[in-house]
Amino acid sequence: MKTAMAIAIVVFAGSAGDVSLTKGMKQVGVISVIVPRAFASIGKRVLTNKFFLVGVVFMAVSFFAFLAVLSWADLSLIIPATSISFVVSTVGAKLILKERISRLRWAGALLVSLGVALISLP
Amino acid sequence: MKTAVVLSLAIVAQAAGNVYLSKGMREMASAGQISGDDLPLILLRGIESPTIWIGTALLLAFFLLYAAALSWADLSFVLPATAFGYVVNVACGYYFLNEAVRPARWTGAALISIGVFFVARSGPVEHGSEKVVKPDRSGQ
Repeated sequence: MKTAMAIAIVVFAGSAGDVSLTKGMKQVGVISVIVPRAFASIGKRVLTNKFFLVGVVFMAVSFFAFLAVLSWADLSLIIPATSISFVVSTVGAKLILKERISRLRWAGALLVSLGVALISLP
Repeated sequence: MKTAVVLSLAIVAQAAGNVYLSKGMREMASAGQISGDDLPLILLRGIESPTIWIGTALLLAFFLLYAAALSWADLSFVLPATAFGYVVNVACGYYFLNEAVRPARWTGAALISIGVFFVARSGPVEHGSEKVVKPDRSGQ
């Protein structure tokens, strides 16, 4: 039960974090990885973005739940169980971020989720 | 191309980061330093472990690359694409560590590969724009 709770926190906090982070980064605008001197101003814009910060908090919650569960359960149980987050995040991307997700992309997300589960089974 | 490069680097950083972190946490657990469910103690102990520092630094690098990619590409594109890291892990284990890889794992790796291929074919659609960008030729 403790493990199930922790895994649920890993999945849902992680997906909420992904969605919020994406919203924040979209508000910040396209980051050019080619121009290093823009890093300071981009960094400031990113770190003062509300959605980015909320996303980071959610991800931190997910991360620490992951760390905690890692200390008492096997990685071969945790990874398959949390692989559903690929689907949960895609649902979040559609409902909250209004991303247009083609059938091909849904199929891709589902296959990835199944594959991740399969790959890490004991 | 930009998306492919950034996500490739992200995948490598995450795979290595997870290995280090997992190793560090196990070292702590086997040393009997974790009594069960007090997180603050786990955090404090973690600060003392170099393995956990390296793992965390690598995962931070992953996060920066991931966030950068999300500034121009869809979450529903970037997230499944990063899952290719699992396939890299299996392949590395097989080729470099001589691990025996069971059929179920190869099947999982194949499913992820096909899934990532599908997602890549669906193209990194930019949020809010009606323009569907072709699969990764121009990079974004």
